[in-house]
Amino acid sequence: MSYHQATYDERLLNEFRSGSTFKIPGDGSAAEKLLPSGMARKELPLPSLAEYDAVRHFTRLSQMNYSVDLGIYPLGSCTMKYNPKYADKIVSMEQFAEMHPLQPDYSVQGSLRIMYELQEYLKKISDMDAVTLQPLAGAHGEFTGILIVRKYLEDTGQLDMRREIIVPDSAHGTNPASAAMGGFNVVEVPSDSTGMVDIDALRSALSEKTAALMITNPSTLGLFERNVVQIAKLVHDAGALLYYDGANFNAILGITSPGIMGFDIVHFNLHKTFATPHGGGGPGAGPVAVKKRLEKYLPIPRIGFDGKRYFEDFSSDKSVGRVSPYYGAFGVLLRAWAYITYHGSDGLEANSRKAVLNTNYVSRRLSEYLSDPYGGVKKHEVVLSSSNTGERALDIAKYLIDNGVHAPTIYFPLIVKEALMIEPTETVNRDDLDAFCDAVIGSLKAGHEDLHQRPVNLSVGRIDEIKAARDQILTWSAIKK
Amino acid sequence: MDFIGIKSDEELFSDIPSSIRKKGIPISRGISEYEVMRLAEEIGSANTGYNYANFMGCGIYDRIIPSAVDSVIGRSEFITSYTPYQAEFSQGMLQSLFEYQSLISDLTGMDMTNSSIYDGATALGEAVRMAHRINEKTEILVPENLYRSKMDVIHSYSSGLNLKFISYSFEKKTGYIDLEDLASKISANTSAIICENPNSFGVIDPNVMKVQEIKGEALLITYVDPVSLGVVVPPGSYGADISVSEGQQLGIHREFGGPLLGLFSFRKEYLRKSPGRIIGLTSDSKGKRAFVMTIQTREQHIRREKATSNICTNQALMALASAVYLSIVGPEGIRKIANVTISQAKKLKDAVSSVRGYDAKFLSGTSFSDVLVRMPGDPADIQRALFEKGILGPIPSSSLFPNLEAFAKSGFFSVTEKTSDGNIRFLADSLGAIQ
Repeated sequence: MSYHQATYDERLLNEFRSGSTFKIPGDGSAAEKLLPSGMARKELPLPSLAEYDAVRHFTRLSQMNYSVDLGIYPLGSCTMKYNPKYADKIVSMEQFAEMHPLQPDYSVQGSLRIMYELQEYLKKISDMDAVTLQPLAGAHGEFTGILIVRKYLEDTGQLDMRREIIVPDSAHGTNPASAAMGGFNVVEVPSDSTGMVDIDALRSALSEKTAALMITNPSTLGLFERNVVQIAKLVHDAGALLYYDGANFNAILGITSPGIMGFDIVHFNLHKTFATPHGGGGPGAGPVAVKKRLEKYLPIPRIGFDGKRYFEDFSSDKSVGRVSPYYGAFGVLLRAWAYITYHGSDGLEANSRKAVLNTNYVSRRLSEYLSDPYGGVKKHEVVLSSSNTGERALDIAKYLIDNGVHAPTIYFPLIVKEALMIEPTETVNRDDLDAFCDAVIGSLKAGHEDLHQRPVNLSVGRIDEIKAARDQILTWSAIKK
Repeated sequence: MDFIGIKSDEELFSDIPSSIRKKGIPISRGISEYEVMRLAEEIGSANTGYNYANFMGCGIYDRIIPSAVDSVIGRSEFITSYTPYQAEFSQGMLQSLFEYQSLISDLTGMDMTNSSIYDGATALGEAVRMAHRINEKTEILVPENLYRSKMDVIHSYSSGLNLKFISYSFEKKTGYIDLEDLASKISANTSAIICENPNSFGVIDPNVMKVQEIKGEALLITYVDPVSLGVVVPPGSYGADISVSEGQQLGIHREFGGPLLGLFSFRKEYLRKSPGRIIGLTSDSKGKRAFVMTIQTREQHIRREKATSNICTNQALMALASAVYLSIVGPEGIRKIANVTISQAKKLKDAVSSVRGYDAKFLSGTSFSDVLVRMPGDPADIQRALFEKGILGPIPSSSLFPNLEAFAKSGFFSVTEKTSDGNIRFLADSLGAIQ
């Protein structure tokens, strides 16, 4: 392995001195006397540098940043797959990129059609009945789902009684956080020894106080929840709603669906399942789909079609209202529309099958070296533990990145000690899967001392996180001169 | 498959009960890239108005975007990466976001800025939640003319909290905050006061500077236009505790309203109560400067139901766009952009008011981008007539603050530094011609 990341001692923007080269037309000299007295700003302490310096600065920074276009990025639960370039071109077409969200319906038929078709796609993929595209990320979709639960309970006179939302101990952190944001109490149920929701524990947790159960299937352990039909029945018999966290949808496209499994509310992570670029942390999009009986509670407006024209549909008077000011992250929605249109029914299902195959390949290769706490066939991801090796997951991760492959998600789910959560996705070839596995195996052979001094091939060495939390230097003005 | 020991990939789905198997997705089969592009173009051709003389703003603006912004954020090292969980592998994005936090803090005059919220409205929702976390009080004072869409989002965000929203009014003549009315509504239960600058009438409001004198123990949340801060005093100088903005204007295309960028800044004593990801400066094992996500014990992946927010995926790429934008435009650039905007707003006011039946001066305050105009007819009809002439606008006030009936026959024409004198004349001439 001869990987080496580009390394620059890159200055901060405010350490450049070249002076701005920016120009615009127009004359603003009349403005100063128009400002109300006392409202004129005196000092504006922004950096001033030439465009060429700014571009070189950010280009050098970009070279110190690993990305999907450089190789495997197997962060579990993040679905880091290749982002197709045709979508980049489509979102930058001016007939999409330069539209104002408050333009009248008759001028935005193209954008509305894209959104309407995406709503229809998502319904058919999930076997749900109605969709809102407004939520702006997965967690925002979860929160929207929680608002729908609230509104449903309020509408049916049960909100005072049903105050609890149940989540498994393997759930994404956003699930309990979203439930709490919606004013519910969170009740955690354990997983059993096979990684499934513990049915007995669920049974005793369910009561007339239960508002909903939030689960993801396949779970964060990468396992399909076999008892999902029974779980749906238990939840519904208790008078509660069943929420599907769609973060792990990439395992099941065309194979099963939350609608068939019996879920009432679903959110999608378009940036994961439909391969829109993650942007270094965002943007995403988190549409929500529901069954018919909950349709009236969806945020407004949704996109309607009367056979001739697309329109904003504000008709529901029981809606939860708005969760964002416009239609959602249109650029992300457009990319997802393009991805689904390109792959179609055949491609989407083939992608899921290949993603699952790749996961099982990695699982098979690595379970000889790392422990596989739950065994069995995997779905989109596999969670292994390094606790049998004496090496910490963190140290293995630093060895991997030092060899030019991104590390898995580590220390999650919380119920697995020294967890390495690996999601290879379908867009990795077998040689690269092998290279990744070889690197993991290599880390176990490297020895403690070698691992502890990693990384040495990157732009910086091991980072002192404790110092960051202690010093709280969050801006350049806070740096002591 | 041989290696795993299976004959067919079906075996990998043997754990899914047959009763819940799906028989494929009932949509069309896939097509080629070439066909997807042509289809997108064909659908896109049903969009119109993007190349018209544009007077639509009210939160989303058509500003000059230096070509370098798209060039930088389009670099695959940035756009195809994710949250920098492995800090040593991701210093590029981390340093960029640290610079974003610094730039926005300098622009707003606030101590600290997180590394983004979804958009301005959801940032306002988070600000309200944060204020309640800080002082546990329950009343939020909001301007009577706050856009309905923002109010709806705040309502959604606070639905678990039992907050009470009390609106305060504005001076009829100037459009400024009615300080007397506001003062009368501040009580021991007031958690926060929301003030906008420029306000929802588009007016630069000097009364926001006086709110700190009357607010007592209540927190001040400001919603400001980031471009206006090129020339207008920043919220940090008039006592804001939390300041939020829509950041789309800072180098981000309108894209039909998303993805956008929520700027979220605050005073340093409230750091632990704040939502969202935060990047901090530290050093590596050899003492070299390095950046890392920090103060994460507020966040959902650690604190779960006790987190300050559920936000995970945010708007990092948009934050990067705004950092690139501000670094290219610089202090003189942003100053000039703001000044040209104010000048063009004044010209538009004069030009439109000279048309019979139109009054753009019934509020005496200075407009920044959005000019509120009283009209002789239904603004939606006027919008349609202008559209046929190749003009985008006005945005009817009734769609923004439907609660204020006095404004039913008014709407906004908005300007930016892109609005030419010629287009302002074209607008005035067209308004005259459609009567």
